[in-house]
Amino acid sequence: MTPALPDILVGQMVALMIPLPPEAGGDYQAGRAGLLAMLAGLAAQEAERGTAARIWENGAIRELLGESGVDSDFSWRALDAANAELRRRLIAAHEAAEAARDEGRQRDILALYQAMAKARRLDLPV
Amino acid sequence: MTLADRLAAYLSRTAGRPTAVENLARISGGASRETYRYEAVADGVREGFILRRDPPGSLIETDRRSEFLAIRSFAGKDVAAPEAVVLESDGAELERPFFIMRRVDGGAAGSPFSPDPFGANAAAIGEQFFAILGRIAGEPIEGLPLLEAASAPAREDCWRRELGYWAGVIDADEQHPQPIVRAAIRRLRATPPPPAARISVVHGDYRAGNFLHDGAGKILAILDWEMVHLGDPLEDVAWAMDPLWSRPDDERISGMVAKNVALDIWRRASGLPVDPAALAWWRLFASVKGQAIWTSSAKAWRDGGFAEPILAFSGWYTARRQDEILADHLAALGPA
Repeated sequence: MTPALPDILVGQMVALMIPLPPEAGGDYQAGRAGLLAMLAGLAAQEAERGTAARIWENGAIRELLGESGVDSDFSWRALDAANAELRRRLIAAHEAAEAARDEGRQRDILALYQAMAKARRLDLPV
Repeated sequence: MTLADRLAAYLSRTAGRPTAVENLARISGGASRETYRYEAVADGVREGFILRRDPPGSLIETDRRSEFLAIRSFAGKDVAAPEAVVLESDGAELERPFFIMRRVDGGAAGSPFSPDPFGANAAAIGEQFFAILGRIAGEPIEGLPLLEAASAPAREDCWRRELGYWAGVIDADEQHPQPIVRAAIRRLRATPPPPAARISVVHGDYRAGNFLHDGAGKILAILDWEMVHLGDPLEDVAWAMDPLWSRPDDERISGMVAKNVALDIWRRASGLPVDPAALAWWRLFASVKGQAIWTSSAKAWRDGGFAEPILAFSGWYTARRQDEILADHLAALGPA
């Protein structure tokens, strides 16, 4: 979620364009290049799975909250804006379930958290 | 004027003799400080040092004075702290605050994101890793230089101070709602741990990747003391045990030793008990603290003009992995 993929890609561009001072060559430069390469690999995963993960999560939260509606704008900006609002309502719903000692509802929410985290997962190459 | 020139000017002025700086090179030393190795040459004598300078923007609001004094607190003690040499809080010729330590040569740091960072030496390194942590925990705090910069909480307030601080970091830096870590914070507030067995020096970032080993099974130096404070020593134990540092095998901590073995080593070295309820609380807290750091990291990546890729990695991959760990932990705990 944060930083969003455009931030990662723009950041990679900026990081590659910044001239490094003479004392930042050698091992540091090599390590930095490796990190940028790894970010590129993670960005490929996000590009492949990100839209589906966002649409799924928004739908799953709506279902848990008993709300109707679907995403109609599939741009990430719109999906993330909808997601932010849904997540705020999910937090409130969880707080209410805890206050009411509604264990069944809490279990449903905790299971959703696991599914949300898994759907957003990124995998290191090694 | 290069950084080497400025450093040479500073060293020459403060030592009162011409001092040359050679082989200055930046090294990977975390995102909270710029770290450089160099050699100082004066009167024909060459010595190796490490320079830690504040960056223009930092991952964590850390106190370099605490870091410096913590390292000094363990000088000559059996915890592999490097030798702290000088602290310049106003930056002097280097323009930003910095401190200098004597360099420890011949060491390597194993990445916690490698599947098997210590290979055949894992058990030997794990023994030293938790024994050193136990000795840090067991060190009486009275008279330590660190007390000049760090205050000691009451034993029953350690959890409240740390949780309040890191929850506040999330409040300040969060850019998108995070229901998982919010649920964990509520759980921690609702179920305080028992008071700390004692007030100890807490390293604050004691984990694989933050120490040097010689490649043959010996730990040479414990590094990255920038989050040091006084508090419950179980905080460090729990942080070292967080599954984030143990990929893909969560049974052995960072590929070193099993959790029960680690706790036995720590108990013997510290002389302190491990209260299961307290450790359980600090383990959930460790993941909250982690998520707070990664949340700040994502913000710093953007606010800092995308200059440091490590901030992107921390704020993105690491944050998502931490969410998985937190979600699994909360599900295992069940309803509040």
